[in-house]
Amino acid sequence: MSGLALLEGRALSKVYGLSTVLHPTDVVVVAGEVRGLVGSNGAGKSTLMKILTGAIAPTSGHILINGEIASPGRPLEMLRRGVACIYQHSNLVAEMSVLDNIYIGRQPTRRLGLIQRKLLREQAQALLARHGMDLDLDAHVSTLSTVRQKEVEILKALALDARVLLMDEPTAWLSVADVARLHSTIDGLRARGVGIIYVSHVLDEVFAICDTVTVMRDGSVVADQPIAQLDRARVIELMVGKTLATQALGEANGAARSAPAAGVPRLRCRALSKRGEFHEVSLDVHAGEILCLTGLVGSKRSELVQAIFGANRFDSGTIELEGVPVKFHSPRAAIASGVGFVTEDRHRDGLMLDLSIAENLVAATLGRYRRGLLLAGERIRATALRLITALNIQPPDFMKPVRLLSGGNQQKVLLGKWLDLQPRLLILDEPTVGVDIGAKAEIYGLLRAARDNGMAVLVVSSDLEEVMTIADRIAVMVAGRVVRTRETCETKIVDLVRDMGAVSA
Amino acid sequence: MNMVVRANERWGVASERLGGALPIALVVLAVALAVMQPAFLSVANLIGILRQVALVGIMAAAMTFVIMTGGIDLSVGPVLAVAGLVAVLSLDGGAALPVALLLALLLGLAVGLLNGCLIAFLRLPPIIVTLSMLSIVRGSGLLVGGPDLHGVRGQPAFSFIGTGSVIGLPFSVWLFLGVAAALLFAQRRTPLGLLVAAIGDNERAAWLSGHRTRLTTMWLYGLCGFCAALAGVIQASQVHTGSATYGEFGTELDVIAAVVLGGTQLAGGKGSIARTVLGVLFLGTLNNGMNILNVPIDIQLIAKGVIIAAALGLGQLRS
Repeated sequence: MSGLALLEGRALSKVYGLSTVLHPTDVVVVAGEVRGLVGSNGAGKSTLMKILTGAIAPTSGHILINGEIASPGRPLEMLRRGVACIYQHSNLVAEMSVLDNIYIGRQPTRRLGLIQRKLLREQAQALLARHGMDLDLDAHVSTLSTVRQKEVEILKALALDARVLLMDEPTAWLSVADVARLHSTIDGLRARGVGIIYVSHVLDEVFAICDTVTVMRDGSVVADQPIAQLDRARVIELMVGKTLATQALGEANGAARSAPAAGVPRLRCRALSKRGEFHEVSLDVHAGEILCLTGLVGSKRSELVQAIFGANRFDSGTIELEGVPVKFHSPRAAIASGVGFVTEDRHRDGLMLDLSIAENLVAATLGRYRRGLLLAGERIRATALRLITALNIQPPDFMKPVRLLSGGNQQKVLLGKWLDLQPRLLILDEPTVGVDIGAKAEIYGLLRAARDNGMAVLVVSSDLEEVMTIADRIAVMVAGRVVRTRETCETKIVDLVRDMGAVSA
Repeated sequence: MNMVVRANERWGVASERLGGALPIALVVLAVALAVMQPAFLSVANLIGILRQVALVGIMAAAMTFVIMTGGIDLSVGPVLAVAGLVAVLSLDGGAALPVALLLALLLGLAVGLLNGCLIAFLRLPPIIVTLSMLSIVRGSGLLVGGPDLHGVRGQPAFSFIGTGSVIGLPFSVWLFLGVAAALLFAQRRTPLGLLVAAIGDNERAAWLSGHRTRLTTMWLYGLCGFCAALAGVIQASQVHTGSATYGEFGTELDVIAAVVLGGTQLAGGKGSIARTVLGVLFLGTLNNGMNILNVPIDIQLIAKGVIIAAALGLGQLRS
């Protein structure tokens, strides 16, 4: 790792008014190095990234690119000097071809402004060959899988002669197989001397792909080391401190896990089928247990749990709640029977972003906060304060619009909304996507507490670390069928990966 | 800051503060007019303003809820006209006053519910549905009543609706205040206010939280149609005639302008009945002021447009 320093930040800091979000920080990206950047939300990662892309100017310090000082706060200059960023959300034009996306806005032109398509194609193909990538240049971006779209974004950056790539949560929404594919692309880039900063909440990936790691906490770098000198537990402890680290690592789980429940299950599904989505799915979830439903993206787990909740239809099969047959035609009916559903995409399906924390917290239980025709404002306020304390929602201001909260706190509001229902069965779909490890640990603690109080919890999750951490039992779904159910204590991650690949292979 | 305050006014945790540019603009406008023309401040003129804004005010209050859901109702003008026409023709045909009023109001409600049904359940775009309805209702009115004015005579009780006074205020103004107060109450103190905001902010999330979003949306359009019909009855009573041609020249635009001037966002989610009332008063004062200053109608129209655009632009800049 004694390569050339491509990008160097020296004593970079950022102060907004009275609050220092980034204390003077050094960061170096060396050619052929993948540097992991980890930390909880609010640790200063995004601020540092924004300074490095030129999106914001630092309050102090400077940036060197190949040894030359770059003007701060100039995104175009950073791009021109070869520092590109791959954002979590796609910046591609879905309805255009791969080729057009790569050269959008800067196509080489002839006289009369005609685009030299042939030249473009040759350049793009040379680029693909050089980096050992394989993409159909004529495919419409909208038809590509998420991981392919990431590759297009990487190619777009490479076409700009990027030497340094900043990747912000590049694997959010990617399945296990796609993560592997992306990592092999990154391996190729590393071998050709590209420097990479890899920001991720998923530590297993950081350990899998990174050479060095920078750990941030509360606006400062608390560790900057070769990854080989650290282990998972140590990194988490650096990020969030000892207590939360224990929660997140699932050590708390092993001890608290109750014996497998007997008797009538809280939820019993038998042979649930919907054409084109899921087939003959049978599942039991008992009171006082967490069942995780895992599988690859596209294995139709969301469709299945939506059908249980009445937000999706199904063709045949039966659902029983404590032995009583039910069929919900709307979420309203499911909620009336004591079923809660923490939806997958909190922005699209979960929260009213411009409404306050309090209003979101009582959104599923509004009927309970009435006095005749009127809303019982003081009881809403009391509930909001109770949940904000119980879930440690930051900031603890129930009037705050949810839009202004961090991802982790938004997710806690969404969870709080359903905990207020005190459901018999709580379904959660990907409950910690884009949530930092501190908030994750808190959410796990809350789910365990709910389980220990006798709630039946059904969690859909693609995150195998998460599954192994919180599940009492694990069901694996492949292509719309539940192929295997296991006790967590007798299961290893490799078993799950094998189960997931079993049918599709 | 404003957003925070507004987030809570709906269920009365914090008392609402009517901050922002609109109240200030209203005061500045009033002071300027009072200086230029002292007659502006006469009681008769101020009551006159209220009387003039009552019709638009009643419709704007209901329209606020519709716009808060992310929708719009362009059909209020023709509904106003046809409701008035129906009331007048029924009375003319010998119907008792309550029957005539009921017919007119139910017609408005029915048109609104039909709009709402198409929009909420068939997921058709509000602007297209209500634009079609504008044409259909206007055409139906012309089919029944032709382009003529239909007079109504010897109906003192009917005349009272538009021209009578109670404790010094015109009855129509009382109706406006009544509608505004009822909807203000609904917005701030009942679950409806929260539900309307939730639907506008994220309808799917509201549905997944167990709310009957479609049914609610449908009834909000029903309310909008009902209020347009009420305005139509008042107008017919004021001028003692009904005609299928009333409510042209951009009635719906006046209503929408008042709502938007009050800070309700066309994209849905945020809005306030109280602010809509201020928007109504602002537009009314502006009209009245230009009238008493003898500004020609062509200049009035231009000035009104410029002021609305400027006010919205300022609001945008602040946020």
